[in-house]
Amino acid sequence: MSFSARWRRRWAPLQERWLRRRLPAASSVTLDHRKLFVLPTGVGLGFLLVIFLLWLLGTNYENNLVFALAFLLVGLFVVLPVHTFANLSGLRLRLMEAQTAFAGDYAQARIALERTGKRLHERVRIAWPPEEGVTVDLDDTSERIREITIALPVVCRGRVPAPRIRVESRFPLGLFKCWSWVDLDVTFLVYPQPKSAGPLPIGAAAGEGDQQQVSTAGGDDFAGLKNYQPGDSLRHVAWKQFAGGRDLYTKEYASGSDVRLWLDWDLLGGRDVETRLSNLCAWVLDAERAQIAYGLRLPGQTIAPGLGSAHRQQVLTQLALFPVLGMAGATQ
Amino acid sequence: MSAAHSQLQSLLPRESLLWIFAAQLVVLLPQFTHLPLWLVGAWCLAVYWRLEVFYGRREMPGRLVKLLAVTLAVAGLALTYRRWFALEPMVALLAVSFTLKNIELASRRDALLSLMLAYFLAATLFIFEQTIPYALYGIFSVVIITAALAAQQGRRSARPGRAFGLSAKLLAQAVPVMLLLFVVIPRLGPLWAVPQNAGGASTGISDSMSPGDFTRLSKSGKPALRITFDGPVPPPEQRYWRGLVYTHFDGRRWSEPGAGDGVVHWGRGRSGFHGGGGEDAQPLPAVGPRYRYQVIQEPSHSPWLFAMARPESDTRGVRKSGDDTLFYRSPLASRFAYEVRSWPRDSLPVDVGLGSRALQRHLQLPERGNARARRWGAELRARGLGAEQISAEVLKRFNSSFVYTLRPPPLGQDSVDEFLFSTQQGFCEHFASSYVFTMRAAGVPARVVAGYQGGEWVAREKYLLVRQYDAHAWAEIWLPERGWVRVDPTAAVAPQRIRDGLQSAAADEFMQDALLPLHKIAFLSRLQLQWDMINYRWYQTVVSFDQERQQGMLQRLLGEISPTRLALFIGAPVIAGLLLLWGWLKLSSRGPKLPVPGRLYLRFCRRMARVGLVRQPGETPGEFARRVEREFPRLGPMAERITSAYEKAAYGDDPRAERQLRRLLRGFWPLRIAR
Repeated sequence: MSFSARWRRRWAPLQERWLRRRLPAASSVTLDHRKLFVLPTGVGLGFLLVIFLLWLLGTNYENNLVFALAFLLVGLFVVLPVHTFANLSGLRLRLMEAQTAFAGDYAQARIALERTGKRLHERVRIAWPPEEGVTVDLDDTSERIREITIALPVVCRGRVPAPRIRVESRFPLGLFKCWSWVDLDVTFLVYPQPKSAGPLPIGAAAGEGDQQQVSTAGGDDFAGLKNYQPGDSLRHVAWKQFAGGRDLYTKEYASGSDVRLWLDWDLLGGRDVETRLSNLCAWVLDAERAQIAYGLRLPGQTIAPGLGSAHRQQVLTQLALFPVLGMAGATQ
Repeated sequence: MSAAHSQLQSLLPRESLLWIFAAQLVVLLPQFTHLPLWLVGAWCLAVYWRLEVFYGRREMPGRLVKLLAVTLAVAGLALTYRRWFALEPMVALLAVSFTLKNIELASRRDALLSLMLAYFLAATLFIFEQTIPYALYGIFSVVIITAALAAQQGRRSARPGRAFGLSAKLLAQAVPVMLLLFVVIPRLGPLWAVPQNAGGASTGISDSMSPGDFTRLSKSGKPALRITFDGPVPPPEQRYWRGLVYTHFDGRRWSEPGAGDGVVHWGRGRSGFHGGGGEDAQPLPAVGPRYRYQVIQEPSHSPWLFAMARPESDTRGVRKSGDDTLFYRSPLASRFAYEVRSWPRDSLPVDVGLGSRALQRHLQLPERGNARARRWGAELRARGLGAEQISAEVLKRFNSSFVYTLRPPPLGQDSVDEFLFSTQQGFCEHFASSYVFTMRAAGVPARVVAGYQGGEWVAREKYLLVRQYDAHAWAEIWLPERGWVRVDPTAAVAPQRIRDGLQSAAADEFMQDALLPLHKIAFLSRLQLQWDMINYRWYQTVVSFDQERQQGMLQRLLGEISPTRLALFIGAPVIAGLLLLWGWLKLSSRGPKLPVPGRLYLRFCRRMARVGLVRQPGETPGEFARRVEREFPRLGPMAERITSAYEKAAYGDDPRAERQLRRLLRGFWPLRIAR
């Protein structure tokens, strides 16, 4: 391990503890002098070197104009951090929504940026490093609020608390950077990474349930109309009736065979927990795509068959929050 | 490679590129005069290539092309400059690195590096010139470079007006710091020897004099010297600023020894001149100097300094020659100021006489030519006259029939003869030359002295302004009992030249060849004088602000220079600045301004907090008032009235309620009442 990595490992917890005290988590944070840090950038150090060289030039040539120029640049170096700071100060960040995601994908958070004072904010970069993030210019006096979306790669399922967001700006000359580590209390609900486990186990668990009910979709035989409910597939909406002035109906189909689909933990014996969850997740997506009503059986909990986004979300949430070694949820 | 290339390209948008090129152009433009032409061409080519790359019409140059470019540039520099340790090659080297950087200007990093280089190159301009126009230009280029730096931040920042305004604003804010540092930061003096600016044709008086040289100078109204006196100011007829002594004559050209005939009596080298170390060691006379003055000399690109006779100077780098003149250790590339004291003639012990070598030197004549003048000299000598009488004879002849003119007829091979016996029209150089020739022919040691004579007294700023057209040549003869004595043959012909200057002596001819006869318009010449005064001030306050002046200025500002006062002087602005910053932070971190009733109510809450009752977030004023009632029954009624007044003022928009709230608060001091 390189020295810097070792150093970082020792330093990071200390830094985090200090930041927690100084910048506690909150869903809305207004940047001010207690939360912002300013330091010269690499270019800023280069600028200092130029000043030093100019001073040498002025000294050796006893040239006052060169001195004056060097001192002017010193003055610039003195006033710049104030401007860089002012550019970020007064910016408010508010978490709008932490969207769900699948592990191995990017989780996205919608954040509102708001000007609290008269000041404009230019070239503000908001990111979860090392991601590139988004660079925003709030430089229009008529625009108070701007919504942005930033993404974080998530690896593990569960409730994943996002790390601190870095808000940074090098405005106006790039010689100084002003930054903050903002904790907007972002927690992503991350579903397991879908991993295909073969075709849907249609009928595989049929023996276990003996309810005789019409499954809401899947067959070829038209069984009748029912009132449309949000979540019903649009493919099955009875458009002809709707065009005729009646309400929205969903056509119900029934197939002769039993199409109640149980996505069962026990079907995937012999695999480890995470793989099973990933496979179940893939099945859920497949079933949604095929519009086959599905239920979920996990050790200790059962979700009755259903279809639609609310159902899907319920099922996936169960998968996401399935305990690992007795612990609820997993962080990265 | 092409994918990576296009990605790099996207890092530098068009605005960034254009701004960088603009900054480079601004920095290089004034240097174009002393940069070789091929370098200018190379820069243009590099810029063109880079723009072509931007428009996708060409690839970034490959390794081979870059290597070739570097080789060519180094070869070009080596061919152009034979000396490397000099200022111009170094500036050229910087310009070359600029140019070469352009063809690989890919990332933001390269762009910023290029701009840092531009700052440095902008400063090197001041090594060449320190005048006001150049200083203004320097400010302009710094504004442009800073704008280019701002433009690297993004498209909005790159808009010309925006970038320029931002840069000007930032730099304006930097000025107070600059002023403070300029006054306070100590000047250490050179840390190591640096190459001086060797380039530039020497202006003014040169190391030799042939017919026509001074006529040429008479056409220039440029300032040559500015002299301030500490004590008495010499009268006009005493204002002879000696610079060079010519002792060798080759029949046409007067030169200083060593320049023409290889007879080295004293040279410009550090060791070659006799009398240097020896005479400096000679104790100064007990009598005080007659004149004390400071000369500010314009860059002449030659080492000669100008002073009255018998000068001494303590200024660093100033040396004294055996011919009683001062010179600097290197050619003057920029304005230079030196202090001089000049002693009256009789205060110095008369020299033991001229050594045989010096005698020979001051009687030297070319082997042939100017037979009539030689004969005349011999004739004067044969009459048994003394040196002073011979001189008087020659001057009498000048006085009788000679004409002082700026446009003398051209002279041929025997210039002295032709002038003395046929044309009889000439300028100071003709008079001095033929006078010295005749005196030598008559056996009197004599020499030509070149320098300036006269000068315009600028009463407002109290300095003497000597211009190029004040350049003058006169003579000195050796009298055994008095030493070297000044004789000005021109004075015999045109005394007003000495008294009132060239302009009145040759009014019709003066500056006639000038493109515009500006000197004839009184308003314009007054303006010119004004400009010179500004220049003089500029030089006095800024350019020559050295350690000594710095101490003087601090002394004046602080009374005395003690560590505490100095610390106070530096610390006070720093603390003031910090306080300002702190106040601004306080103000800016406060939220938007509340309406008046709200602010008054907050005041009520603060006072309640002081007795330990803090209003909870989300607690309505009514609830809070009831809590006050419970905790401090004595404050209850008052709190009740304040709250209801506040509610009326805030929500009922009732100005009377607001006044009432104000009045109630005036009498509400819970700390006193609660106890």
